[in-house]
Amino acid sequence: MPVENVVETDVLVIGGGMAGCFAAIKAKERGVDVTLVDKGYVGKSGQTPWAGSYVLFNPEWGDNLDAWINQVTTVGEYVNNREWTEIVFQDSYARYQDLVSWGVEFAKNDEGGLFRSTTSLGPCRAVHMEPRGFAEILRKQAVKKGVRVLDRIMVTNLLKQEGKIVGAIGIPMESYDLYIFKAKATIICAGAAGFKPAGWPISELTADGDAMSYRAGAEITGKEFVDTHGTSADYPAMHAHGMPPMGAKGPPRHKVINAEGNEVPGRGTLFLEMEFEAHAGRAPLYFETPGGKSIRVGGASSGMSVHKAEGIWPADTSGATSVSGLYAAGDSLGTMQMGAVYGSIGCALGGSSVTGARAGVAAAEYALQAGKPTVDEKELARLRKIVYAPIERKGGFSPRWVTQVLQNTMIPYFIMYIKHGDRMQAALTIVEFLRDHLVPRLTAGDPHELRLAHETKNMVLNAEMRLRASIFRTESRGCHYREDYPRRDDPNWLAWVTLKEEQGSMKVLKKPIPKKWWPDLSKPYEERYPFRFPGE
Amino acid sequence: MSIERIDSELCNGCGICVKSCPMDVIRMDRESKKAVIQYPEDCMLCGFCVQDCPQNAIYISPAKSSPFIVSWG
Repeated sequence: MPVENVVETDVLVIGGGMAGCFAAIKAKERGVDVTLVDKGYVGKSGQTPWAGSYVLFNPEWGDNLDAWINQVTTVGEYVNNREWTEIVFQDSYARYQDLVSWGVEFAKNDEGGLFRSTTSLGPCRAVHMEPRGFAEILRKQAVKKGVRVLDRIMVTNLLKQEGKIVGAIGIPMESYDLYIFKAKATIICAGAAGFKPAGWPISELTADGDAMSYRAGAEITGKEFVDTHGTSADYPAMHAHGMPPMGAKGPPRHKVINAEGNEVPGRGTLFLEMEFEAHAGRAPLYFETPGGKSIRVGGASSGMSVHKAEGIWPADTSGATSVSGLYAAGDSLGTMQMGAVYGSIGCALGGSSVTGARAGVAAAEYALQAGKPTVDEKELARLRKIVYAPIERKGGFSPRWVTQVLQNTMIPYFIMYIKHGDRMQAALTIVEFLRDHLVPRLTAGDPHELRLAHETKNMVLNAEMRLRASIFRTESRGCHYREDYPRRDDPNWLAWVTLKEEQGSMKVLKKPIPKKWWPDLSKPYEERYPFRFPGE
Repeated sequence: MSIERIDSELCNGCGICVKSCPMDVIRMDRESKKAVIQYPEDCMLCGFCVQDCPQNAIYISPAKSSPFIVSWG
């Protein structure tokens, strides 16, 4: 018989990467009871163990705030939320000091001082830690502070009562038991949202946080700005196979050479230049490393957005969302801190630590005021039915097969990278069929497959979100490129796109960007946007 | 073929790899008390298991083949 475990807590944190650990630790420091739950193992979770750069701003070192914000704004093509861009820079030093006090070591320069790397993009600087090592330090710190850490439980649904989030339910990896978390406040730190792509280690990041929040009434943003991390084309399943490892002094720098032997001009950050080359028939493409080695490269991280673009729409700058009792941080919070292009090294971890800490504090303060959460038995019964439906069905479709069909629909470059309204509409027709006909018939034969079934359901929702947001934005901007609208359209699209469930269907909304953040429209277009899209 | 083999002679049954795997590919065999590859098709080749195994008992290969697409499945 499956066992129902009830966990009562003040603050529930879902996901244990950089954001989740910071959220849990900072909430705990406010004197509330904190539970941190992760689908995998806190310390190995999400993209955190793969990252090693941390943006670090300090005016005492001569860093100029306006110049730093300007770098992100111009590279990010004016759709960054400048308030959040500034907050991340301003708070980065305090969070860096937290990391140092917990024992995280940062790379030194040759003179023995702190090594601060910079890029060709502008003045922003980052410091570097050894990837993989520091995530375990975050876990140890959370445990030491008294956070209850629960590993290998997939949270599937949020619990909502009278318009407020009062916890969540989840399933462990190795049994049909159920976990019922009754929480005064809940923080989503479940990371980015991919389609189990080859070559980028995010196969566990299946839009779970976005999906459960969307289904609970939250608005989701940033789905149109795609991330473009690449991988080896010879061994596409293995992250960075054959590439120089990410060292203690930042990611390797390399040139991209096309099939004609010419260097592919780039922006110096993650952008669509490889996809443009492939589309023009100039693939295969090669990375030429400083050591002179050539590595054949292909596209990879299909599904996720530019860091901090996608996620739950923030209600303010505390980490709160538009739903009472629901908070978010890290790649789960759509701060639009970077805008349409990833414009500075280290902002992924920097943003996650800053938003994590803020959400932790805000959720703890909310929990201190909130009453004991009550959960309606009727609502629990409804959710139990949803959670276990795939094991109750006698027949239907396996999650692995539906995922494969989804990947075949979404991953080829001409859907989400080189976009066109007609092709996206065609993909949306398929995705709607998956949503309406296959997802309601997903089956599972064991607890592992039950996890897969919920992941598949979430990925199908993520696909619909990406397509609808991308169809809606009838322009090109940063990492959202449409062949049928190859120019930026400032008068109409200095705006963010959000998605919200209304009466069972997905509504697409436009949120205008404050005019004070607009570029100077009296300047010629070419001056505002130095990078040309193909077809402009 | 992604995760290839766990050497049962070397495996000491510590269970670290089960926790390390974000994809729930590895499980402990109840009888032998050793780690076994349960769901190899879900391996994303992150390499955490190899990195964390104190016995160096786990072998992975960078090659991975994808299944045929079939009409229904």
